[in-house]
Amino acid sequence: MKEKKLIQYLILIHWTFFYATTVIDKIVPDVYPLWVGADFYTLFIKFFASLGLTDPIFATIALAGISFIEIVAFVCFLFSLFSLYKGKDKISEQWFYRGIAFSVLLFSFFSIGDQVFGDRFALLEHGIFWIILVVSWVVYKYNSLTEEIIIKFSLSKDIKIGLVVGILLTLITSVSLLDFSKSTFANKTQPVQSEEVVEGVYKFDIPFLGDKFTMENTIKAFEEKHPDLKVNYIYTGPDELNSKKKTHMLLYVFTEKQN
Amino acid sequence: MGNKKLDISNKLIGKDLIKYFILIYWIFFWLLNVVDKAVGAAHFLFVGKDRFAQIERFFDSLGFGEPIIANIALIITVGLETFALVFFCGALYHFAKKNINASSSWFFIGIALTLITFTYFSVGDQVFGDHFELLEHGLFWFIGLLSWIIFIRVDKIQIFDNFSIGKKQFIASTVFIVSITTITTFAIFWHNHTSFVERTQAVEAVKITENKYKIQFPFLAGSKAFENSIAKFKTDNPTENINYIYTAPAQLRLAESDGLIIYIQTKKK
Repeated sequence: MKEKKLIQYLILIHWTFFYATTVIDKIVPDVYPLWVGADFYTLFIKFFASLGLTDPIFATIALAGISFIEIVAFVCFLFSLFSLYKGKDKISEQWFYRGIAFSVLLFSFFSIGDQVFGDRFALLEHGIFWIILVVSWVVYKYNSLTEEIIIKFSLSKDIKIGLVVGILLTLITSVSLLDFSKSTFANKTQPVQSEEVVEGVYKFDIPFLGDKFTMENTIKAFEEKHPDLKVNYIYTGPDELNSKKKTHMLLYVFTEKQN
Repeated sequence: MGNKKLDISNKLIGKDLIKYFILIYWIFFWLLNVVDKAVGAAHFLFVGKDRFAQIERFFDSLGFGEPIIANIALIITVGLETFALVFFCGALYHFAKKNINASSSWFFIGIALTLITFTYFSVGDQVFGDHFELLEHGLFWFIGLLSWIIFIRVDKIQIFDNFSIGKKQFIASTVFIVSITTITTFAIFWHNHTSFVERTQAVEAVKITENKYKIQFPFLAGSKAFENSIAKFKTDNPTENINYIYTAPAQLRLAESDGLIIYIQTKKK
């Protein structure tokens, strides 16, 4: 396969999947088994409410309009991918250009919305996707120095060495990963041990896997271990107290002696 | 005298150097990603990210709490990352040996694996609803694509081909660099000497109302400073019992100049 075509496939696959999942996210607005996604409906309702437009019709129409452009962009990229596969390079390029044009339009709308609603982080996010789309189009057209370079996957000696090293490294890392998974999975529900840091104040360092069940089991185990103590108050250590990425969550339990 | 040139580097010239930088960047990028997966949790000299916990929680949110699903997803990721690493290493080896065509082919496969990896991550981010990660992975996809273009087109770009510098300019810039470095280093060491203690030191509570106190922590304060401050508060106020702590949200703090602020509410024992 030609190097240029392979890069085009990689670009098209990326944007086709990007829009396919974006469209699914609109079709499946809530959390379901196999799909979490983002709740754009709630986001739009809140955005429009902040403008004083509390009637849900505004958010619904805006979301439907955005979804329409996303669907059009998805179809363009899908048709472009299909045409490339069929060897119709010119038609593929035309569909890709249409997809990019609709995408750039979409992210321009998003950026206008971000300014109106005052969301600067979303503005940065949409600005970055906007430039990635524009550059994707440039790379799609001019990604190779020559049309003639062919990518060959012949099993030369150095490729064989590379494959063996890759497989070995993958195996070693996978074994280490499985071992880590086996040894830490219990942290998901296992109660966390307490440390009395001040008289009557206990600290719990909740691990990364810990969730609400860990917390409930921890408090339950703590109360069973200390029947003479009454939990007065639970304080969640804010991020500023954490050692950057090393600590997941600190929990402080304030107690007093039972009467 | 001003015309005399001091040749700092005559071995590596611009275009090769840029290709080396690109290759070395991607080698370290994937090497550390693979190490991060192999190491797992935080250790001495390596914190990394607990990817198993992250992926396990992601799949649990989909209704797949069993660790096998997260393990399979991570093993696929490790495979892609490892092969990207191997192909970038091969590209560097061939580039150092001046096998330019072989180097480009190995680099191309490395880039293709990089793009596939970030597309795979982006699909996951949409499914799991993590749009911050989607932005991050989209950006890395973009950086991968641009790396390829720069790698193959750098020979067509006009770049100055030596790093020569005039003697007068060299002396002047050295004086500036040494002076500013000395001042900055002294300031950093002085700050360390005077402020490191804030990491654990107890902070005095300020009484706001009858039963409410404020503790304003410095930026350096960690969990020990919090614990020592609570211990000090209890010692200073033996008749009071803490029954509530309120953490001032970011909106109540002065932009970037306020660190953590907490309010303590008490009742008489």
